[in-house]
Amino acid sequence: MPRNPRTNEPPDPRDPGTVRARKPLDRRQVVFLVAFVVLLGGGFTLLSLNAVDRVFVVPFTALVAKVSGWLLDVIGQDVTMRGTQIVSPRFAVDIKNGCNGLETVVVFASAVLAFPAAWRTKLFGLVGGIAAIQVINLVRVVALFLTGAYFPSFFDSSHTVVWQSIVVACGVLLFLVWASRWAAPRPPQHAEAQT
Amino acid sequence: MPLLRFLRNTLLWAIPATLLWLAITPTYNRFLARAAENAVQLTESPNHTTLKRYDQHNFLIYRDDLQGQTSTGHVSSVRVTSYHFMLIFTAAIFLGVPDTPLRRRLESLGWAALVSAFFHIGALLFRIKFIYATQLGSWSAEHYGAFGQNFWGLGRHLLDLPFRFALPLLLWSCFYLDRLLPDLVRSEATGALPRTKRRLAKDSTNSPRD
Repeated sequence: MPRNPRTNEPPDPRDPGTVRARKPLDRRQVVFLVAFVVLLGGGFTLLSLNAVDRVFVVPFTALVAKVSGWLLDVIGQDVTMRGTQIVSPRFAVDIKNGCNGLETVVVFASAVLAFPAAWRTKLFGLVGGIAAIQVINLVRVVALFLTGAYFPSFFDSSHTVVWQSIVVACGVLLFLVWASRWAAPRPPQHAEAQT
Repeated sequence: MPLLRFLRNTLLWAIPATLLWLAITPTYNRFLARAAENAVQLTESPNHTTLKRYDQHNFLIYRDDLQGQTSTGHVSSVRVTSYHFMLIFTAAIFLGVPDTPLRRRLESLGWAALVSAFFHIGALLFRIKFIYATQLGSWSAEHYGAFGQNFWGLGRHLLDLPFRFALPLLLWSCFYLDRLLPDLVRSEATGALPRTKRRLAKDSTNSPRD
């Protein structure tokens, strides 16, 4: 690995001028990947258990539906709630499992828990990230309802492609932001050099 | 990693990635359907399964030994596009990585796309076998035991949502996770443990610099 000729220090990976040769996966990378896959599989298997579905997923989905209905009411939509259904004279939508943002939450939480960071930092990331994902998911449900009501021909692609991509992308980007800003703090030497 | 540049680059690369994805989707759907059909036929003897295009995104699943037993002629349908729209995000985060030559980013993306293609075929295989194993009533019960039903069911459940959504991050982590772990490179060079390295670095900031 080339060293800085002036200071004889190893190159800093955050240095914009640093171009690294491709190297095999590092041990910590492998540990992260294995832990991520195991947590992901475990998390989704847990969510698919009948007891968890009955006790947590179904009530949570109903809560998402209720809050979404309230938000639509606030922005002037004439909606009524029937269980997990949001109904208006123009359009009706049933909030089901898969519309509650829990998939993205599991992906995000698995990545955070698998990442080598302090537990307090992980806890901070989990709380902030899950809250942010749920806010984004509420925006998604409201936007999808409005799309169905006013642009019905776009509803299908918005539902299955556009908003799913956006919510998952936000979850992944939130993880990357957390990991690079909070979980992996800048080395003090480098931080000083930047000031 | 320069985070703001990465986020900006990712957003900008999402535009050409979306256009390219829209352009290749019809062809890629046909390729995936054909590959999944072949993969399913590997599990059959003789071959029974055929996937026929219904529209740009959907394919109908036919089994020649069940032709007369369904009112519609086909067993079920599958929306192939749903399996690969995350390619847009994969391309955007691979191409958005700052301070890496474009050629290397494209090379990494090529590997990621190849792995993704195999993943899409596998996910479609599990989806179709899940339908056979659990969704065809007495025919399913007759041809698949409890283990088969659980195997194809769990596989489909895991590949359909969690790994489909997590695949871009998993692949990105294989190539670029060390951007988030600066200690890796530094400790490699110095032989020091990351925690020791941080302590040393902290000490050095307290001492006068040259």
